[in-house]
Amino acid sequence: MNKTNGHNNEAILSLANNLRWEIGESFHDKLMESIFANATTIAQKSVTTPIEKPTFSFDRALDRIVTSPVLGFPMMFLILAVIFWLTIEGANVPSAMLASLLIDTFHPILKDFSLTIGLPWWLGGVLIDGAYLAGAWVISVMLPPMAIFFPLFTLLEDFGYLPRVAFNMDNLYRRAGAHGKQALTMAMGFGCNAAGVVAARVIDSPRERIIAIITNNFSLCNGRWPTQILIATIFIGGAVPAHLAGLVSAGAVVGIAVLGIVFSLVVSWALSRTVLKGEASAFSLELPPYRPPRVLRTLYTSLIDRTLIVLWRAVIFAIPAGIVIWLVSNITVGGESIAEIFINWVDPVSLIIGLNGVIILAYIIAIPANEIVIPTILMLTVLVTSMAGVGSGDGVMFELDSVTATEDILMAGGWTLLTGINLMLFSLLHNPCSTTIYTIYRETKSVKWTVVSTLLPVVMGIAVCFFLTQIWRLVVGN
Amino acid sequence: MVDPLASLIVGFIIILFLIWVYLPRKGLLVRLKRSKKNTHRVLIEDSLKHLYNCEYNGINCTLNSVAGNLSISADEASKVVKKLEELELITSHERGISLTPEGRAYALRIIRTHRLWEKYLADETSVGEEDWHIAAEEIEHHITPAQADALAAQIGNPVFDPHGDPIPSAKGDLPVKKGNVLNTLKMGEFARIIHIEDEPHAIYSQLVAAGLYPGMQVRMMESSKDRIKFLANGEEVVLAPLFAKNVTITPIKNETTVKGKFKSLSSLSVGEKGIVLGISKRCRGQQRRRLMDLGVVPGTEIEAEMKSIGGDPVAYRIRGASIALRKNQADKIYLINE
Repeated sequence: MNKTNGHNNEAILSLANNLRWEIGESFHDKLMESIFANATTIAQKSVTTPIEKPTFSFDRALDRIVTSPVLGFPMMFLILAVIFWLTIEGANVPSAMLASLLIDTFHPILKDFSLTIGLPWWLGGVLIDGAYLAGAWVISVMLPPMAIFFPLFTLLEDFGYLPRVAFNMDNLYRRAGAHGKQALTMAMGFGCNAAGVVAARVIDSPRERIIAIITNNFSLCNGRWPTQILIATIFIGGAVPAHLAGLVSAGAVVGIAVLGIVFSLVVSWALSRTVLKGEASAFSLELPPYRPPRVLRTLYTSLIDRTLIVLWRAVIFAIPAGIVIWLVSNITVGGESIAEIFINWVDPVSLIIGLNGVIILAYIIAIPANEIVIPTILMLTVLVTSMAGVGSGDGVMFELDSVTATEDILMAGGWTLLTGINLMLFSLLHNPCSTTIYTIYRETKSVKWTVVSTLLPVVMGIAVCFFLTQIWRLVVGN
Repeated sequence: MVDPLASLIVGFIIILFLIWVYLPRKGLLVRLKRSKKNTHRVLIEDSLKHLYNCEYNGINCTLNSVAGNLSISADEASKVVKKLEELELITSHERGISLTPEGRAYALRIIRTHRLWEKYLADETSVGEEDWHIAAEEIEHHITPAQADALAAQIGNPVFDPHGDPIPSAKGDLPVKKGNVLNTLKMGEFARIIHIEDEPHAIYSQLVAAGLYPGMQVRMMESSKDRIKFLANGEEVVLAPLFAKNVTITPIKNETTVKGKFKSLSSLSVGEKGIVLGISKRCRGQQRRRLMDLGVVPGTEIEAEMKSIGGDPVAYRIRGASIALRKNQADKIYLINE
């Protein structure tokens, strides 16, 4: 009985297989089409729609302006410029307040307290000068700009303007093998790369999404703007006549940001034609109707989902890094701190690419946040040159209000105009901060793409600095 | 201080070396991979495939055709054939060479893997149409039957590859050959393309360039020994008879025939409306499913709403929503021509 059953099953299966060949390959599509057609007929019969109001007349009028060849792009640049201006200007005051509270007030209090309760000096150093200071620094420089930038950006998104930006920019991104929405994740990356990587979720095509994630680091993030501005003011502004200094150094910073956009397009183009050639790709972009933004909801979600999560991750990574920064400057082997030994060791190699050992070490140990790179560089320079009267001690990061005083420290560290330019380039082209790396892993769930996005920019940065340095030395001399 | 000129030269040498190693198509890595390709096993499997194709198409196979198909010398081919005989996969006789049942089963396993992989590339990746066959030629030798079955299950047990060839079942069943070559179609008759032969590559890429694909409707206009002129989805195409032989068609019965030129969605100007006739077969996999999910199915009314600044993409109003589509997608959506 069983045997005959088995036999029957076989026969039925092979009949089914033959029938599948008979009906051809478009069967599934036909089936789906007929279901849709059926549904439409039923809907037309039974659903009554209220008389069409001229609802999208406002939308259409606005869309005509937004997509107009004359007004479209200037409007986009103006809106983005206003957002960046609001972020940078608006963040200054709260950042200064947080810094004076957390760093200038609490830090000495904690220090005194640790002395009063008789904490060993090294424990106080690790906990207060290392862990607390790094965490406090990250909060005071990251929180205000993000708390301004993300809500503004989300409001624009909620209003419906950002999808139109993607719509207009898609022409350019299509040529680079990417999705128009990458323009949005890139703009988000100017606020914070980790947030930009998360924002790449809006790209629903796998290949284009990975491209957007890998190239997001080429957007000069909020943590790198102050570095660029400081170095450009000191070295590039210092190299031209005084009345041009402001203009030229501002131009240099914008030039670096534009260079970042160019790199992101070129790398997108190369990735989509090489390693990502075969990944699945599909395009569609919905343009939702305009609507008044829901301000409170937007504030809540952008503060909780974006700002606090990113900040939390940054603090988590900053604390151990702060400890490492303090330890490498204070643990001594044969009379020299680990930091000095490492710096002397990598100095010859880093000079070939026009940087120096201090910069390399600072980029390694200040990996949690680009914001603490300059304080680390200053602290390490003081440590290596044994300058007296500046800074707050070995392993304690600091920043100076005066640009000239900063310049003096860097000059004592042997910096030249070339070092300054290379630092600006390396600040654009180096590995993403650990928060972003972790976020990339969380978003892609792939070690491969995380490693690619980490190493690709740093390799490019080393190559760019190397060639610039050699050519500079040939043409200009040292 | 390191001499800048020397290090500059070293830097350039390193870059040139990396380019030489990694260059796509011509680099060292690719060449190394390619040189590994012609192993013994690959030759055996490729010749079995060739012998099976001869059998399927009712042609007699000879030593020379094996040599020609595998681009090896007659000497090497005779070695391969000898080896195949030793393995009892083929028998040779005065009329040529034919497969033993074991040889046939082996060939079908390879063909199954090949066509499954082509289907996978077409539906699940964005690998270009002209690269499917080349990639499948390589991968077919490295996938076990169990892996092939898993792949088949993953992509929904397809029965046709993207060229319109039937995919053998896991047990090695294959339907009898259907259809005729395009050359046999009479003037004025309608037919549907069911298969486009993917070998030789030169002819296949010409046919792809002409925009032909399985599922396309054709109507013969003129058939002579010099040229074959026909309408493919309403567009006029002229082929040499040699090329047309690689296109297999089946006459259409009881189906509404499409008259005249097809209109694509991309031809609408802003403000114009059209009714969807269908999505081209060239639009596959994820992209096709996405469009259908959005409601791009026969009978849907679509209005071109606005152009982006560069003119591409264009936003269309589909079932009450504004959806931006790129030109190369809108080209593949056909509208009823009123």
